[in-house]
Amino acid sequence: MKRSEILLLAQPLAERLYQVAYSIIPDDLQAEQIVIDGFNAFLLKESRKLTATHFDSQNKKEVLVQRKNIFKMILKNICDIGLRRSAQLNDQLGIDQPAEFKSYFSLDAKVRLIMRLRYDLQLNTSDIEEILGFARHEVIEKIHNGRFLLMNDLNKEAVV
Amino acid sequence: MMMDYQSYEKKIVPYIDGTLSTDDRNEFEAFVATHPDFQEKLKVKQDEIFALRSLIPNVTLSATSRATLEGEMKTSVYNLIKERPKNVVEYMKNFYQEMTNR
Repeated sequence: MKRSEILLLAQPLAERLYQVAYSIIPDDLQAEQIVIDGFNAFLLKESRKLTATHFDSQNKKEVLVQRKNIFKMILKNICDIGLRRSAQLNDQLGIDQPAEFKSYFSLDAKVRLIMRLRYDLQLNTSDIEEILGFARHEVIEKIHNGRFLLMNDLNKEAVV
Repeated sequence: MMMDYQSYEKKIVPYIDGTLSTDDRNEFEAFVATHPDFQEKLKVKQDEIFALRSLIPNVTLSATSRATLEGEMKTSVYNLIKERPKNVVEYMKNFYQEMTNR
């Protein structure tokens, strides 16, 4: 795979990756930095594999498959860096939570991230396990907790 | 072995969550296809999940941020991925690309 081909696959993912990073740390600059750091980590780890991979950029199906693979690999690094940074920043920075998504941002960072991966990106539990390196029961538990807490808030809003 | 009605009810959420095994999923879908009343139950739950999705922020990058982020990605790829040139022309082309990328 050539550098131009890696870019062809990765650049259209920028916004999706940013949304995931923003779910972990709801701050524009922090989220952008997480995407850049996660992408660099991905390139450093996978450079040999990427350059050795044969890729036909004219084949639309292959582009989609390779883009999905690359997306998952970059996500893995973004989630890893983001969660570690979030834990470090938690006590040091008072990041303002966006007012319009209060119930979402009141969830724990890991739960927010899993809710994003499951319900927005529509990844299945196996993919989430692979990306986050969590056990299956932990992923399922966090999906249940997140959904329960969000639905509770939604129902409260409906009553008010 | 076929599941009973209650067992299928318990499978609604795992089905929506995508946590059912392929076999269970196929069996569940076959059951739903033949039970219209159950389809209604499934729809209610799916609507609930749809409402839930609206609580997850759909943040977007500004044009400037998108350009910055894509530019950073490009720089990273050109700095971290080394291509082995096949000939002198390609070598010069790569060299030129690297220089213009800086």
